[in-house]
Amino acid sequence: MLFVLQIEAGGLAVRIGVYFCNCGTNISEKIDCAEVKRLAESMPGFAYIKSVEFLCSEAGATAMESDIRENRPDRVVVAACSVRDHEETFRGVSSRAGLNPYLMQMVNIREHIAWVTEDHHRATQKAASYIKAAMARVKLHEHLERELIDICPDVLVIGAGPAGLKAALALAEAGRKVCLVEKGPVLGGMPVKYEEVFPKMECGPCLLEPVLGEAMHGPHAGNLEILTLAEVTEVVGYYGNFTATIRQEPRYISHELCIACAECIAPCPAASKNPFNFGLNEKKAIDFPFLGALPNLPFIDPQSCLRMAGKDDCHLCRDACAVEGAVNLGDEAKSAARQVGAIVVSTGAGGYDCSKLPNLGYGVLRDVYNSLEFERILAASGPTAGALVKADGQPPRRIAIIHCVGSLDRDHVGYCSGVCCSNAFKFNNLIAHKVPHAEVTHFFKEIALAGKEEFTLYEKARSRNSTRMVRFDDIRQLNVSSGGNSSLTVTRERPNGRPKQTDFDMIVLCQALIPSHGTAAVARLLELDVDEHGFLEELHGRMDSARSKVRGIYFAGTCQGPMDIQKAVNEGLAAAGYVLAGLVPGRQLAIEPVVAVVDASRCSGCRSCMTVCPYKAITFDTTADAAAVNRVLCLGCGTCVAACPNAAIKGNHFTNEQIYAEIEQVLS
Amino acid sequence: MSTQTVALNPVDAARADFEPKIVGFLCNWCSYAGADKAGTSQLKYPPNVCVLRVMCTGRIDPQFVLKAFEQGADGVVILGCHPGDCHYKEQNYRAIQRHRILLRVLRQLGIEEERCRFDFVSAAEGEAFARIMSEMTGVIKRMGPLNRAAAEGTR
Repeated sequence: MLFVLQIEAGGLAVRIGVYFCNCGTNISEKIDCAEVKRLAESMPGFAYIKSVEFLCSEAGATAMESDIRENRPDRVVVAACSVRDHEETFRGVSSRAGLNPYLMQMVNIREHIAWVTEDHHRATQKAASYIKAAMARVKLHEHLERELIDICPDVLVIGAGPAGLKAALALAEAGRKVCLVEKGPVLGGMPVKYEEVFPKMECGPCLLEPVLGEAMHGPHAGNLEILTLAEVTEVVGYYGNFTATIRQEPRYISHELCIACAECIAPCPAASKNPFNFGLNEKKAIDFPFLGALPNLPFIDPQSCLRMAGKDDCHLCRDACAVEGAVNLGDEAKSAARQVGAIVVSTGAGGYDCSKLPNLGYGVLRDVYNSLEFERILAASGPTAGALVKADGQPPRRIAIIHCVGSLDRDHVGYCSGVCCSNAFKFNNLIAHKVPHAEVTHFFKEIALAGKEEFTLYEKARSRNSTRMVRFDDIRQLNVSSGGNSSLTVTRERPNGRPKQTDFDMIVLCQALIPSHGTAAVARLLELDVDEHGFLEELHGRMDSARSKVRGIYFAGTCQGPMDIQKAVNEGLAAAGYVLAGLVPGRQLAIEPVVAVVDASRCSGCRSCMTVCPYKAITFDTTADAAAVNRVLCLGCGTCVAACPNAAIKGNHFTNEQIYAEIEQVLS
Repeated sequence: MSTQTVALNPVDAARADFEPKIVGFLCNWCSYAGADKAGTSQLKYPPNVCVLRVMCTGRIDPQFVLKAFEQGADGVVILGCHPGDCHYKEQNYRAIQRHRILLRVLRQLGIEEERCRFDFVSAAEGEAFARIMSEMTGVIKRMGPLNRAAAEGTR
């Protein structure tokens, strides 16, 4: 008997107060509140209905607040305007009046009824049915709380190109501890290897050196931990509370002790092709990646070092070193864990493999280079010390620059990288500077030069008599072959059926930008979605392009698509902005309670929910043998709730029972 | 087109007084906002569709639709974001898939496919929302009440 009484107290005896907003006359001239009361008052739990002129006004909200205090309803229904306009307003009023904000249900009788229904009588009836449905629903509402969790405001930045560097610097300047992880031995990404960058022909290293200097020695460098030759191997946790494990390969050279005198390099007996110059020259096993690379200290490549490869007990570098302990041949790989609240991914892009277009002769014919290799040939820090020469050491007289290599071609990458044309005209200008009488022919499919500055290099190139422009429809119409006398021949098929042959002595292929290997690896590690091209997929391509779909993970730079330095840097700063706005030291993170909740006892372990969740919010808890929803990551869409074949997942605030109650009432 | 002048059809004439009950499941972000837009534009449409809000069409369990038919609905309309516009990335595609399967179930129960419409309404498409409300009401009016024997099968 006592049990029955308790059920009544918790269920049937619920008292619901209804607040009816007249909205001036916007609602009341179409919907009759007195008639609504007559139709709704027989509903179980109905306590009262009160009409207010403007419920959202300060006077209206204050009146509602004191009325709730006075009448102490268990639940409240607000019949007014759109939920999208004022749900937060009335949740706030309820909360201030001492009622859990999730025990308030709003119905939209203005936009959805009063303003769109001709007939007064039917409008009133419809409003009454909406209010009754809300009453039936709100009775089943649960007391929900916004959970507050502690956060770590520190940040992990993966990739030290321009985007990652700018993100890291901004965050460090704001006082955040930043761990900047770079896979290679050198910072600065792609542009530090460029002689000059478009559109203003600024020197690439000069552009980046101040940024790198600030990162290493600037006023906020103390907040920045830079780990080169390092990779993130594991990330666990979620927004506000990630733990990242980082593995750092040995450099064998001490950051603290090395004075970069380079004495160790000459005695080294081992050399191999220098990957930082794309194999266009050699470097010693102990060497700088390239001239001017920062941090300014050499590293030992264990692949080519005789000692590391176990071929010899060589220690000539250590013997030559002027500083005791600067060369540490016993250096070992280290693994470290870092606590961070957010992660910025800036792992960059790579170039499309030009050998996939065999008609262009790349990788087979001498003096056919891709654009990254050509950048190094032009660069003062490159294999030819900036001299533009062919493989035979002679300057080229006729150069072909082929645009759109792999781009705008469904058999290759489909998209336009948007930066190669600007780069190609930059090449034209650099060639004119280095070999003044060289003829340059641009073979192109399309020319893309959007932006307020990008056309200037094109104009300059076109103004030269030595520049020729040749358009092709399909890159398959071009065929590069070896001519006599160390020359190269480009044969172009033409619509008239008579192929045109032109001789060159150097060919530069402007290949598409594609996701780097590092980007693919980080996507796998962090379980990030990638688009059809393999670039990291943003939360929203326009409105939220620096955010991933996983809360707390942000993107910057070419890991998410081809872009120029300006945009990459801005993305880095955008990512920093998101972190600074979302994770504030000393402030807890508020977690919305309108999320999915798994009843482990009903979960059969089919994992259907995990495949449909767009936010990677669901994991499988092997201990409980059930799916588990992370409240921080879940955004409450409810798809998993509908997908669960066992009804083991509840969608808070949108439970099946609540929705069924609504359906029943609107149809009664 | 005279073939579509329904008033001439005696069966339809008999149904002229019939006011169908239709349940509309709307996603919060696009379609509910589209309904708001119809309201702020003061577009008039028949009041037959009762709107239920969910955060995403992906939340719509096919059982909600069956429940609506069981409880007396003559029609159901599900409105979500346009493909590619889903606030939750791609959950509207899940809803489309579920709707397609649901139509086959409804057919087996003897419930005509036209009684369960899936469509897209963006936050800007107040006119589309009002048009769909009018169309749906018109279609169900012409079809007449749901065959209740069929609806029994939804239990």
